[in-house]
Amino acid sequence: MRAAVARGVMALAIACLGRCRQQWGLAMQGEFEAAAEEGKPLIFAFGCLFAAVREMPTHEEGRFVLTNYVFALGLMMPMATLQIGCALLGFPYLYPGQDGLRGAMAAGGVQESLLRGVYQAAVPSLSVLLLLLGIGHLRIAWVMLEGDWSRVTAIGTRTMAAAATLVIFMAALFLDGSQAVLQTAVLALELAILSLLARWHAQLFPSPSSEELAR
Amino acid sequence: MLLLLEALSARQQQWRHGYDLMKETGLLSGTLYPLLMRMTDQGLVEAEWHAPSQPGRPARHAYRLTAAGMALAHAVAEDEGGGTFRTALA
Repeated sequence: MRAAVARGVMALAIACLGRCRQQWGLAMQGEFEAAAEEGKPLIFAFGCLFAAVREMPTHEEGRFVLTNYVFALGLMMPMATLQIGCALLGFPYLYPGQDGLRGAMAAGGVQESLLRGVYQAAVPSLSVLLLLLGIGHLRIAWVMLEGDWSRVTAIGTRTMAAAATLVIFMAALFLDGSQAVLQTAVLALELAILSLLARWHAQLFPSPSSEELAR
Repeated sequence: MLLLLEALSARQQQWRHGYDLMKETGLLSGTLYPLLMRMTDQGLVEAEWHAPSQPGRPARHAYRLTAAGMALAHAVAEDEGGGTFRTALA
């Protein structure tokens, strides 16, 4: 078990070193066997991981990976949590008074009594749209960290379409759409950042030309 | 870095493995490897791959000081009192 954990940590350390320090990753791997023979694989592996993480900001590939993680964990994940949470908790922001759709359906004003049936009918669709937005954020973050930029673009486009549909849907139902518009604006900003990251990735890892592929 | 310079300058022509250097200097891998990377980038240390001593084992990276590294080691020893590295570092 300890050896397996140590090997996992070593693999992570080598991955963190990236292509520009690949030789050093292999050097660490070679010495790892010597450390394992002497019964100290874990401390050696964690030391290598510490060294590799410290090295990351010093080379462009490492900075790219760090930027991706900061973006995914600092913006994409909180947005996904907010949207999934809102969908599950009954849209606390979607109706004036912060009571969500429950407030809209409560007995009271004339508007509520007139629109109650419409809102009840709309709840499943709005929930599905908001869940799609949240899940879309999660998928974008996951696929981005995998480096699959064509899928990032495809999922980003679909998530943007879901966000636009949500705003239009809310406007048609006379719901307070300011928060949804704000979230759509954040999504547009995220997609703009993603396109910059995709360009950076293409510079760092140029795809092989057709001549190179033919060889 | 001084510990590493001392260890590498003690046997100037001999190629040394990373784990042996760790044991000799008492440095952990998290300290040793960044130092080796910096010193190699600066031309103070040279590295080469050595074939594994036993079949099935990975090749090992070995290190030794370059002429510039040796010059730095001598300069440091002289700056610290003209003695050996051990007295200089004491």
